Amino acid sequence: MRALLWNGVNDLRVETVPDPELVNPHDVIVRVTASTTCGSDLHLIDGYIPTMREGDVIGHEFMGVVEEVGPEVKKIRKGDRVVVPSFICCGACWYCRHDLYSLCDNTNPTPEAQDVALGYPTAGIYGYTHAFGGYAGAHAQYVRVPFGDVDCFPVPDGLSDDQALFMSDAGPTGYMGADFCALRGGETVAVWGAGGVGLMAMQSARLLGAARVIAIDRFPERLALARQHAGAETINYAESDSVLDQLKEMTAGRGPDACIDAVGMEAHGTGVQYAYDRVKQALRLETDRGQALREAIMACRKGGTLSILGVYGLMDKFPVGVLMNKGLTVRSAQQHGQAYVPRLLEHAARGELDASYLATHHFPLEDAVRGYDMFKHKTDGCVRAVFTP
Amino acid sequence: MAGAPLVMSPDAHGDARPGSRINVGQTERLVSGLVGGALLLAGVRRRSLGGAALALVGGDLVRRGVTGHCEIYSALDVSTADGAEPAAGAPNATQVVERSITINGSPADLYRYWRDPQYLAHVLGDAATGRLVGEAREHWVVRAPLGREVVFDTEYLEDRPGEIIRWRTLPGADVPHEGTLRFNAAPGDWGTEVHLRVRYDPPGGVLGDAAAKLFAAVPDTLAARTLRRFKSLVETGELPTLAHNPSGRRDTTDGRAGGVSGAGYDAGGTHLPLSHHTT
Repeated sequence: MRALLWNGVNDLRVETVPDPELVNPHDVIVRVTASTTCGSDLHLIDGYIPTMREGDVIGHEFMGVVEEVGPEVKKIRKGDRVVVPSFICCGACWYCRHDLYSLCDNTNPTPEAQDVALGYPTAGIYGYTHAFGGYAGAHAQYVRVPFGDVDCFPVPDGLSDDQALFMSDAGPTGYMGADFCALRGGETVAVWGAGGVGLMAMQSARLLGAARVIAIDRFPERLALARQHAGAETINYAESDSVLDQLKEMTAGRGPDACIDAVGMEAHGTGVQYAYDRVKQALRLETDRGQALREAIMACRKGGTLSILGVYGLMDKFPVGVLMNKGLTVRSAQQHGQAYVPRLLEHAARGELDASYLATHHFPLEDAVRGYDMFKHKTDGCVRAVFTP
Repeated sequence: MAGAPLVMSPDAHGDARPGSRINVGQTERLVSGLVGGALLLAGVRRRSLGGAALALVGGDLVRRGVTGHCEIYSALDVSTADGAEPAAGAPNATQVVERSITINGSPADLYRYWRDPQYLAHVLGDAATGRLVGEAREHWVVRAPLGREVVFDTEYLEDRPGEIIRWRTLPGADVPHEGTLRFNAAPGDWGTEVHLRVRYDPPGGVLGDAAAKLFAAVPDTLAARTLRRFKSLVETGELPTLAHNPSGRRDTTDGRAGGVSGAGYDAGGTHLPLSHHTT
């Protein structure tokens, strides 16, 4: 089959690789009908996350049609049109049974690396380093999905691929980030980053009761999407003297009740702190440029909630003292998608959450390298590139 | 041996407590670091028990190089640091491996699975094989690094369903040892805590011997992997695998060849139709 391979830092190529096969009894094989770029892939492509190997198939946000099912698969059938969360989960361990799916105990075939890096191993991910299991990714014609009954979600009739695709990752990640804010109704939620995940977090915050959403980004077209689809007020940090002052003014001196970081380790920013991070990251003295997260910690109201969705490694100058003295609640996770996808698909089926506008650019899989280039440089207002095998 | 050998020892900067001071000489530290780094990389790239052992040994050598402290030397009261002579003819000190895991299942069920020869064979995979010889005597072959095999016979000292299994090797074992597997109910809805403890006498000459050094990480690796595989099989009815995992590589290190790549755990996937797991 054809697949997009990582062959080194900033070296992607579409090549022919062997087809996946049913291996374990709960496996299904999904024929991919659409897959999409994710900001977290850029960290792999740029070489900031270790344990990639030359020849790895990347991509973790996808949907398709079930082609084959293993002998122990009970619910999912051949021909089902399904969306698949990016984390591979067994559904049976303590973490899965408590809706903490990305912490699954049983799906990482090589847990030793994470024993060292994290203390305990987490679930495997498609196409996202060997520390996260080394599973082949989704920018391909076929994907082997372990635990098909747990990890495949049939798409309701009437939803297009573009409407369903983002329920694989951007949707549940953003929704989880808003869920972490424990909204009761009437709150103000600020979201750093108006990419796919950030926009989904903004719309989810609305669905969960936020009265106001404030989007912070530097791309006018993305801020326009935030206004249009989440009714957000917007701050372009590149044009702002102080995002902090602006947020303070917009909330009459209180600060946002909850702050969501949907940026991650390659934050852009302005000023001395940004220069410091860029240099240290370039010298490999820290993995992270953490300006967005630091700003969110500073901006959040006293006793508020900080919800971290961005992917990070090791960060310098992390303001623990601010966090502690302001009594912030920190919630964070990789997406526990399996806990959220069913209700997201219901929202989508009822027309309350249409994510299709994220699919700004479509490419055949053969042009995936060009797609990633546009996505990375945000050319032509690219929010997400969608690949069709 | 117990605990993660890749973790930096916090007290490894030459303070006066016994067992924690620098006991590895400068040159050896440098060599340790370099060789360890190479082993770690080689081990991580090879997805087998031997590979994991390589990685663990490599990581430990790196740590030794960085901290100047060697657990094995310390355990043996050996030092090669300045002013210290290598202790001549140090005896093969008994080692202890302890590993625990929490599994979603009752102590009675877990005990039953472990004592089921077919089930246990599946847990052990290519790493070891056991068979009953005589009334209560089992014959075991464990695959060690560098293509070696460790052979021993065992007998049960204690066998209480749902509680404990205790065994020891019979005379003539390559690696004489005594092992205990204990099943305790875990708190809340966690299931069962499984504790594995093995006391063994390391094979061969103690230090300076590459094979013995390689072997040193095997028991810990074997213990950790066996418990993890047992857990996955009990909880899900299968083992996570990268067999037939598509990639652009021509090698077989991610098991695409379906387990023909030699000794190691990673072969294969699970074809055993298990419907009696607990969930």
